[in-house]
Amino acid sequence: MVGCGFVAFLTVLGILPRLMQLTKTMKYIQGYEWAIISGTIVGVWFSLNLVYFPLFPTLIALVGLAHGIFVGMLAAALTEVLNVFPILAKRIGIDDQLAILLMAIVLGKIVGSLFHWMYFTS
Amino acid sequence: MRPKEKITVGDVAVVFTSKEEKEKIESLVIYKVNEKDQNIIIIDVMRIIQAISREMENMEIQQVGPTQTIVEVVFERKRASLPFFIVVWLLLFIGAALAIMNFHEDVSMRAVHQRLFFILTGEQDETPLLLQVPYSIGLGLGMILFFNHVFKKRINEEPSPLEVEMFNYQQDLDRYVIINENDESVTHIDER
Repeated sequence: MVGCGFVAFLTVLGILPRLMQLTKTMKYIQGYEWAIISGTIVGVWFSLNLVYFPLFPTLIALVGLAHGIFVGMLAAALTEVLNVFPILAKRIGIDDQLAILLMAIVLGKIVGSLFHWMYFTS
Repeated sequence: MRPKEKITVGDVAVVFTSKEEKEKIESLVIYKVNEKDQNIIIIDVMRIIQAISREMENMEIQQVGPTQTIVEVVFERKRASLPFFIVVWLLLFIGAALAIMNFHEDVSMRAVHQRLFFILTGEQDETPLLLQVPYSIGLGLGMILFFNHVFKKRINEEPSPLEVEMFNYQQDLDRYVIINENDESVTHIDER
């Protein structure tokens, strides 16, 4: 049941369709479904059991990068940004500078996250 | 359209007919803009048919395409000022930074990262920066990927979800305005 809710959450946000559209790899959808399922199972295993195995630093950095990209897409797909933002921009007449305002949000998130990890928690 | 202008058939429609008649039809005046109309005027195809059949005899009219035209009367150009824009920019910047910090605290991401770092290397670390710095960069990359926009350049030909949303909103607005502002579509029977 929890799995259903999780998959429904991911579906509604449209992250996977968007990624498939960008990379034009629509026919591998089965593979992507298996990726999500196996990733979830590995995550459950990691969070309930204590295992560890040494990995290369580059690989760890890649894991962190992938994590960030996924959460970033999640944050972008939330309704608040996707629906409210363009309507607001059109209402107050700044729709040609929309890209610059988008950059404000993106840079804010990057700087906020870095600030949080490097200074805030010490 | 500016206020106090006339709307002709040629402004709102494309006419296909023989050459002599085409100019005459296109110059027929359908409507004159006055102050009562405010910003939006709807020209229904029935007005065009009325105007044409009044002037020319024995005309067969076939209408192709949408049945209404939305005419926007422009009074003055709305231009957002620069200080206002900078204020909004700073607001969005600081707001996004704080939102992401609160999100991290909410989902206790720090504990997850510490544990993940232990799982992946076998070492304990209070601030696993090796995970967290790429994570922060990935955050920005993910948002940009979703919006299809790096500063002013596009990564791809396709419209980004934001543009699709704006288009949908404009469509909804147009549909609402067509039904509401059009004089033809609402008839009050009990006031006759």
